[in-house]
Amino acid sequence: MTAQTTAHPAGALAGLTVIETAERVSGEYTAKLLADLGATVIKIEAPGGAPTRRMGPFKAGESALFAYLNANKKSVVLDLANPGERALLDRLLARADALVDDHDEPWAETHALSPAVIAQAHPRLVHCIVTPFGQGAPPEWQTARPINVINAGGWAYHSPSETPNDKPPLKGAGRFLSDYEAGIDAALCVMASLLRQRRTGMGQFIDISEVEVQLNRIDCVLDRMIAGEADPSAARTAYDMGGPGTSFACKDGHVFLFMTTRGHWNALRGLMGDPAWAREFREDWLEFDCVPANVARFRQHFAAWIAGQDKLPITEAAQKAGVAMVPVNTAADLPRHEQFEHRGFFQQAGHPVFGPVAYPTACYRMSATPVRIASAAPALGADNREVEASDADA
Amino acid sequence: MPMRDRGGPLQGVRVLEITKVWAGPYAGKMLAHLGAEVIKVESMTNLDEMRAYGGVDIDSAPYFLSINQEILSVQVNMKTPEGLDLVKQMVAQSDIVIDNIRPGAMARSGLDYESLRKIRPDLIQCSIKMWGSDGPLGYQTGYAPCFAALSGLTALVGHEGETPRGMNIRYGDSTAGACAALACIAALHHRESTGEGQFIDLSAVETMTSLVGDSLFGWSVTGEVPHSDGNFHPEMCPHGAYPCAGVDWTSIAVANEAEWQGLCEVLDAGDLAADPRFATLAGRLANRHALDAALAGLTRAHDAAELAEKLRNAGVPAFKSMSSIDLATDTFLWAREAYRMVSDHRTGSRPIIGPSWRISPDPPRVERGAPLLGEDNQYVYRDILGLRQDEIDDLIARKVID
Repeated sequence: MTAQTTAHPAGALAGLTVIETAERVSGEYTAKLLADLGATVIKIEAPGGAPTRRMGPFKAGESALFAYLNANKKSVVLDLANPGERALLDRLLARADALVDDHDEPWAETHALSPAVIAQAHPRLVHCIVTPFGQGAPPEWQTARPINVINAGGWAYHSPSETPNDKPPLKGAGRFLSDYEAGIDAALCVMASLLRQRRTGMGQFIDISEVEVQLNRIDCVLDRMIAGEADPSAARTAYDMGGPGTSFACKDGHVFLFMTTRGHWNALRGLMGDPAWAREFREDWLEFDCVPANVARFRQHFAAWIAGQDKLPITEAAQKAGVAMVPVNTAADLPRHEQFEHRGFFQQAGHPVFGPVAYPTACYRMSATPVRIASAAPALGADNREVEASDADA
Repeated sequence: MPMRDRGGPLQGVRVLEITKVWAGPYAGKMLAHLGAEVIKVESMTNLDEMRAYGGVDIDSAPYFLSINQEILSVQVNMKTPEGLDLVKQMVAQSDIVIDNIRPGAMARSGLDYESLRKIRPDLIQCSIKMWGSDGPLGYQTGYAPCFAALSGLTALVGHEGETPRGMNIRYGDSTAGACAALACIAALHHRESTGEGQFIDLSAVETMTSLVGDSLFGWSVTGEVPHSDGNFHPEMCPHGAYPCAGVDWTSIAVANEAEWQGLCEVLDAGDLAADPRFATLAGRLANRHALDAALAGLTRAHDAAELAEKLRNAGVPAFKSMSSIDLATDTFLWAREAYRMVSDHRTGSRPIIGPSWRISPDPPRVERGAPLLGEDNQYVYRDILGLRQDEIDDLIARKVID
């Protein structure tokens, strides 16, 4: 924000080169985080292209998923089964700073990309492999897909809160929630190790377990159970907090209400015009009388009242009154939402097939190195010529 | 002059955290578990609620112990001018400052970025707030399930045809902390390249939004608004959790013909394999409710873990839906050190949820449990700030160190 304020300041990772051999979303997202922070990411694609090029949604034959995950990257097609092309990958690795992969161990062995081989051939390289269960897990476990990972890690069993035994555990939002969570840890570790590389000139191997990311995100609930301070159980409610907080249907969508204190309760009573049913509750019921029967009785009355309200006016009034009630926003609500607009979370950028599109970016606004969508996802092999030419020069 | 050599890629990086509850402390934990020296500013006059939950001794509060391993604790009363001056001296010796206190509170204490960069010009400061640090709604505060609802994520999680109730109510804080740690390390790279620090303004709402980025981008491209869809997957079928013996469930994801045949074989479901409605992925997707019901009838008799193992051995991705008792007693997770032991002041040692990473060579060591309140006062005041013992004693007597 000072010395180098230009139209487009360089990203935080400017000057660093990352090779991506990933073929699942977890590794692809790891490298996306690094690319959006300014690293040069060279995506190695097999002939025929990355699997996500063939995953929807599509428009005019192009995958929106691929376009989202691979903006700011370069694409180089290499047939790693071909010794000549595998040798080119080695020369790319020799000049790169990090390698991001998400294949299982047999694939890494077959392609001479195992941790041991890389450490021997490229000791300066930071090498990260993201897998469902981490290195050393049984091979048949490593084919787990995101729905298997989020079930193996416990979040599915406990989501949504209060799900009864006869309803299935849920996969979470969208198709790739556990991949994105793992990508955050992987990108964090790669960048941390790259700092060490600056100091020591040496690389490291980073083994990320997607399931262990899931466990880590619930540390202050699950750890109390493994430490014997809370009882683990088969209850679907084992992660819940109790209390009346949940989503409710209103006139034009849904709201989420969270209440834990007498202050919340009094504010809500005021917001509702202090109906007679509310006066039957103790003022401090949330703190001292928050039993399931009261929660159910509250929800029944509240649901009837909120069903007649519009989500934006009532949640705005709630915020002003000190009630933690918010709209359950949908995809269509966000790009024109005043706070998202203020922060520039969605960036309009071009795509050769889609035209201008609103790209969701990062949750961190960095004053000196803002995240920027500088280039659309590459066409298959778009950068082969450039990479081969620079290889010849080298 | 770090307190002790813990190894790891962030060895030599010092972080000061002015944080409470979960998101901020989680950011500090992530950095500490990578080898950074992370100092938590604490005070009896403004205690982290996590030291109080459960109504127990503030030095052995389970919530606090479960997050703050390898964190150092220094006591300072930030409600006194002298205390604030000491915090500023600590900032001057730190690479990164992280906070997640109420909007405006850092500025009111003179700890905003513009003030702190005068003390430490190359400082990296990260503030975690529900909506970020400014903007029309920047003043608002909230709880994790609120920011998940605001973010677009909750709208995508629910059983089909029902009110979207979102992820478990605990979801959100820890991920916001992880993203804060990520951004801080990115900023260290920029500092290495240019010598310049920066301010990182993190929105917890947007953290959740970034986890549904592909759905939002898809909407922008196709105009189709995504909704909560149970366990539906447009490219896999069957795809879901299927009921097993007792209250258990097993997740199954079938992406191709071989996996479909493998599933039918394990379930001895020749009639499903032969049913023309289910012969292709398109057919299975079109008839998925009938298919899911038929499969549920077949899976219900099986033990969830045994069925998942049989399916995996037949090449079908499957895994038991793990409850908290399953997770806490899982031999694979214990053997892999997903849970590991750290020191504990009360009982000698305590199991914790270890980091998701293994790094070698030079791994970061995670050995020390959460600190006692003020456990590292001497280290911070004497070794880092260079105060004499009589000065420290005086600050304690006057409750500046409290």
